[in-house]
Amino acid sequence: MKSIIILIISVVLLSPLTVSAEGLGDMKMDSKIESMKKAGVGPVIFPHTLHEAAMKCDECHPKIFVDKRGANDLSMKVNMKGGACGTMDCHDGKRAHALFNCGKCHHKTEGQ
Amino acid sequence: MKASPDFRISIKLTFLVALAVLIGFAVSATDSNAQLVTSDEGAINSSIDPDDPNSVLYTDTGGKKAGIGDPNKPASESVRIGLGWHPRAMSASGLPLDRYGLVDWAKIVRDGLIKPRHSLDPNEEEMPPLPMDVLIEAKSDFVDNVIYPHEIHTWWLKCEVCHPKIFIPAKGENHMTMSGIAEGQWCGRCHGKVAFPLTDCTRCHNSPK
Ligand code: HEC
Ligand code: HEC
Ligand code: HEC
Repeated sequence: MKSIIILIISVVLLSPLTVSAEGLGDMKMDSKIESMKKAGVGPVIFPHTLHEAAMKCDECHPKIFVDKRGANDLSMKVNMKGGACGTMDCHDGKRAHALFNCGKCHHKTEGQ
Repeated sequence: MKASPDFRISIKLTFLVALAVLIGFAVSATDSNAQLVTSDEGAINSSIDPDDPNSVLYTDTGGKKAGIGDPNKPASESVRIGLGWHPRAMSASGLPLDRYGLVDWAKIVRDGLIKPRHSLDPNEEEMPPLPMDVLIEAKSDFVDNVIYPHEIHTWWLKCEVCHPKIFIPAKGENHMTMSGIAEGQWCGRCHGKVAFPLTDCTRCHNSPK
């Protein structure tokens, strides 16, 4: 019993460390889920860790994204006008996959 | 997900390779500009005939002009071994370009820069373009609607190219989705292949909700 409690406590205490060592992981973005449903696409899973591996933090923060969950009003409209994910030299089809690859970001997209 | 050192290295390598390719493009582009512009008022000296071995149309993935690389080799052979049309080489023709540097065929039509024969058969009756826009409402709340212009399409294409196989000719009866389009259905049958690419979102999504 004692050892289990110690195990639990150490897991809880150590978890922030593992997060910082392995990155922020995947982030689910579904504030506009009603509209996404109409369009037949699933919520967006943003792989933060993958982006950390490829870029420096200050390429995105704070000039493209405020580094606080939910603080950015993201939408496909913003992306299409060259903001957020659609910023020049990001998801433009050259450096990273183009914006029309719906299923790469929107998980459980019909037909993809 | 865990980013192993191996993974980081491979990402860096990919970027390096991509960078090298980009520089290749840039260098070859400047050098082709230098060669193409001749003394008399910037007229183009180079042929853009696919059958001409000196054609500037074909380049390899490094941006080198495949047709000029080996004068004994016809350009069409370059295509067979996997080389393609190169938009940057095409731009040497002096035609107007869109914001991606691709030839803007719609502008060419609007400005009356080309006048192709409407049919190989001289007896075939010419059908004038159909000036009809159809509003296609986007299902998402956060993207602008699409205005489908018949005029520019029927300038090049017959009704039967699209109706009824690709589109039922009735407003709202084609249940299109963007993911389907990106997979090559509906507008994606042509856009991204023979017409301007899907990357140019706002050229289709041009009517605010
Ligand atoms: C490049 C493809 C294409 C070509 C070529 C084309 N159309 Fe269409 N047409 C469409 C699309 C897309 C729609 C809209 C369908 C929708 O809203 O779901 C449409 C809709 C229509 C409609 C229905 C309009 C309405 O308001 O309900 C008619 C009628 C029509 N086309 C006639 C023609 C005729 C006549 C021609 C030849 C002169 C032609 N089309 C050529 C793609 C095409
Ligand atoms: C060739 C024209 C064309 C281009 C270019 C284009 N779209 Fe679309 N898009 C459409 C059509 C047609 C629809 C279908 C509207 C409907 O029925 O909902 C659509 C629908 C959408 C929708 C709504 C969801 C859905 O499936 O209906 C989104 C989001 C979208 N497009 C995003 C984009 C983005 C992002 C780009 C650029 C990367 C883009 N589109 C480029 C024609 C286009
Ligand atoms: C059969 C092939 C074909 C299909 C299908 C097709 N297009 Fe096109 N489209 C063309 C061609 C060819 C052009 C003219 C060349 C270019 O602009 O690249 C063109 C041009 C356009 C333009 C350019 C307008 C301008 O003036 O700049 C728009 C907008 C457009 N298409 C929207 C659509 C939409 C929306 C759909 C689907 C509902 C669609 N197209 C389906 C072939 C097609």
